[in-house]
Amino acid sequence: MKRLFNNRPVIAALVLPGILVMVFAMIIPIGFSLYYSLTDWAGIGKYHMVGIQNYVDILTNDSTFWRSLFNVFVLIVVTIFIQNPVAFALAAVLAHVSHRLSRFFRTIYFIPAVLSVVVITALWSNIMNPSFGILNKFLALVAGQPVNISWLGKPATALGSVIWIIIWQGFGWALLFFYTGLMTVPAELEEAAKIDGAGPWMTYTRVILPFMFPIISAVVVIDVISSLKQMEIIFLSTGGGPGDLTQFTAVYLYQKAFVASQYGYGNGLSILFVFVAVGLTLIVQRLFKTEGAVE
Amino acid sequence: MKKILVVLCVLALTAVVAGAQAKTALKLGDNLPDRTSGMGLVFETINAEFKAANPGVDIAVESYPDQPWQEKVKIYVAAKQLPDINKYWSFPGMFKPLIDASMVQTLDKPAFDKLGYMPGALESNVYGGKLYGLPLTADGWVIYYNKKLFKDAGVAVPKTYDDLIASVAKFKAKGIIPAVTDGKDAWPLVITWDALTEKVNGDFKRTQAAFDRKAKFTDPDFVKGATLLQGLVKSGFFADDLMVSDYGASRNLFGQGKAAMYVMGTWEVGLGADKNFSADFLANVDAFKFPTVAGGKGKVDDFMAWFGGNIFVNATSKNAATGVKYLEYLAKRWPALAWEKQAGYPAQKVTARPTDTPLAKTLLSVGNEAKMTSDGPPSTDRSDAQFKDDIQKAAGELCALIITPEQYCAKIEAAAAKAAARK
Amino acid sequence: MTKAFSRKAIGKTVLYSLLTVLAVLQLFPLVWVFNYSIQKTGDLFGPEFFSLPVHPQWNNYVRAFVDGKILTYSINSLIIVVSAVAITSVLSFCIAYACTRMSWKFRTAVLAFVSLGMVIPIHVTLLPNFIWFGMFGLIDTHLSLIIPYVAFQLSFSTLVISAQLQSLPLAMEESAFMDGAAYRTILPRIIAPMAAPAIVTAMISSFLSDWNEFIMANTYLASDDRRTLPFSIIRFQGQYASDYAVQFACMVLVALPALLIFFLFSKWIMAGVSAGAVKG
Repeated sequence: MKRLFNNRPVIAALVLPGILVMVFAMIIPIGFSLYYSLTDWAGIGKYHMVGIQNYVDILTNDSTFWRSLFNVFVLIVVTIFIQNPVAFALAAVLAHVSHRLSRFFRTIYFIPAVLSVVVITALWSNIMNPSFGILNKFLALVAGQPVNISWLGKPATALGSVIWIIIWQGFGWALLFFYTGLMTVPAELEEAAKIDGAGPWMTYTRVILPFMFPIISAVVVIDVISSLKQMEIIFLSTGGGPGDLTQFTAVYLYQKAFVASQYGYGNGLSILFVFVAVGLTLIVQRLFKTEGAVE
Repeated sequence: MKKILVVLCVLALTAVVAGAQAKTALKLGDNLPDRTSGMGLVFETINAEFKAANPGVDIAVESYPDQPWQEKVKIYVAAKQLPDINKYWSFPGMFKPLIDASMVQTLDKPAFDKLGYMPGALESNVYGGKLYGLPLTADGWVIYYNKKLFKDAGVAVPKTYDDLIASVAKFKAKGIIPAVTDGKDAWPLVITWDALTEKVNGDFKRTQAAFDRKAKFTDPDFVKGATLLQGLVKSGFFADDLMVSDYGASRNLFGQGKAAMYVMGTWEVGLGADKNFSADFLANVDAFKFPTVAGGKGKVDDFMAWFGGNIFVNATSKNAATGVKYLEYLAKRWPALAWEKQAGYPAQKVTARPTDTPLAKTLLSVGNEAKMTSDGPPSTDRSDAQFKDDIQKAAGELCALIITPEQYCAKIEAAAAKAAARK
Repeated sequence: MTKAFSRKAIGKTVLYSLLTVLAVLQLFPLVWVFNYSIQKTGDLFGPEFFSLPVHPQWNNYVRAFVDGKILTYSINSLIIVVSAVAITSVLSFCIAYACTRMSWKFRTAVLAFVSLGMVIPIHVTLLPNFIWFGMFGLIDTHLSLIIPYVAFQLSFSTLVISAQLQSLPLAMEESAFMDGAAYRTILPRIIAPMAAPAIVTAMISSFLSDWNEFIMANTYLASDDRRTLPFSIIRFQGQYASDYAVQFACMVLVALPALLIFFLFSKWIMAGVSAGAVKG
């Protein structure tokens, strides 16, 4: 019996195809990337091996790189501390209204998450257009005079606007995760808390949130990963500008490789980025593990 | 066994026959997604004519907007998949790497000398004594304007920089955007800086001197040019969304009659014939020469002009010979067709026609009246791709009011020093 | 009594208005785009905040459909995405099964390796893959997208499915083995149906991601007749930059398939997420 559960050929047949595809399309390119990051290749023509010079330059001399990491960090913070609480509160509300109403609203709230990033970026770029976008027209109605703010172009508002677009799309997923998580909370738990005289605030903070800890930690990990990977929305709207203010690491490495023809340098950025991404993810996972799960 | 042999023979025969009848499939890559007007239409016409004259040839076109096309070329070159014929740019920073990678087919210069190219046109595509590409357009920096909007706001055609600034208040009072340009890609901002700097120092050669490290970009004339450029932004001359307005968006604002001026190159001569815009706009679009600066040495007939757009054949393609034939045909038909369809300012001489739009006539005369032209491309394109990225970024920061003109010039200076070290 | 009642009523109205406001926030952008997609481009520049079209220009949709090459691009998207999703589901199911219900030395390591795939940014692999795939002549073919789509979706799918598989009792297989069945019948006939919610969730998630994927499609595909749907919007940025109304119509057309799938399968998505992500 046991032998059937560790039947080597079967295991190999099950696991290898998938692994091979991943190696082919992910690991090998990263290997290439590592190799090229040690050169000064411009994408075409000859190149020389320059060892770790690219890495040195990136870490000591590249303010854009650090700015891009900073922006990723800002996005993570906003996602965890603004998007998630709002999504959670909304999920809690929806968990207590009628089932039909709840489904109706949940469906609507999830719609942005279903759209292509190209559509979303084009959509919001038009909305935030200083000349004909409805955002300024709406503000003009409220303020009583023409408003011409360039949301994506002004240094003061650019990062916030880009983050808004990203949050707008991701909100649906957060809501969904929290809602389904809330659905798994046994009714008895809530009942017991009520009987003990706990108000809604107490119930949530002392009973429900701890119960949902695994879900919350999963959501946080997903938030970190997706914040790191944000590229298309920024690329298609501001391109990282004005200046470096909306630069994100994934956009930056693409621009360095494809636009500035600094292929070796761009690959160095990629490798560093992979390290940051993997490292950050592991740290966050560790953090949540040590805090102890209720289950 | 016999059956298999028969089958194989039949297959082989069909293959041979098919091969003999196979058409040469020419792949053409360019930055002209719109095939219904302007340069796209000209190419469609030429392609059709070439196919008719050469029945064994088929042409497949791949088009992207400007920036994505530049990126695609880099990818293609890296993967050795470059199309047979490519519309590209003759700038050293862009073209020379391709030449060095042996991807560009040399052309026989004497064959093209007699085709009416303007002085310096073919030379702009000569590297190491050999001709590598054919220039398509003569590019000059002007300011397009909408006569009707000027009349509505009571503004006269600006002759000086101060006129430009003074017009801002008058346009804004009427709810008209004074001027637009492609701020997102930043290179128009750099070209405007080049133009302003020359109006200050009256000497186009200063830029190259700085590149050759005989002068510095932090010298007062360059700083003054940057100050003037930033001054335009600060005064509200450009639309509020300058920095996120890309090429199409800014052109569109002008064409829809929302902006009074459009700072761009002579390749936009087609604005006067673009059917996407209202008849009202078409009747009122014109251009004026880049204004002078008070106290500056540059004159109004100093024309910031260069030969940017070119077309070349991929040397590694197996259809290179057919490609060269195509180029030869193109060179003969291009000037007449391009001017007739108002697709651009050809790099070959054209004569004004009675049916030319007022805009076309103006641009032709601007070119003819020019007493001095720049000795090469704008600053963005006098060095390598990395420098181009650096300067565009710096220009973006300058016009987003994040850095001062002095800091801008310092950045350019540093970038130029690094570029020189890379040579 | 009445005081408590009216407080509750006020509370409820506040709540519902909040929900509605948020719903409007999520929906209004799309409504706005749709509204202006049937107007003339010039109308967009008017000072009104929101105006209903007097003469709906449905022709904009025709032009968007034709000039955006919606049909060609959609067919390509369909071929590529359906293949990728099918392959992903099968492979991730296999890996999830092997790593959760079979015992061997490396099963946690493999699972960790596979889930690490979620962290790798796509953009890091773009140019290397272009050259690497090029060596096999894959560039500008459907395979050039199917392979990376599978590779990148494998992680999430495997995680979701393994979460569900972990909760199934081992007894499932035992009785089948007793009857002498082999793996190739047990897996599809017995285990897969039990893991159906997770598999469906994984499939829908992969579908949506792959359908909307842009940057890889933009890099690996060249010929116009191979491109996928997201590209049609890009077509309009150069050529029809002047014609916003047609651009908006194109955006609506591109968004429709995903929205349709979503409405059809929303029950599954919501149900599947609970089975998968919650346990994970």
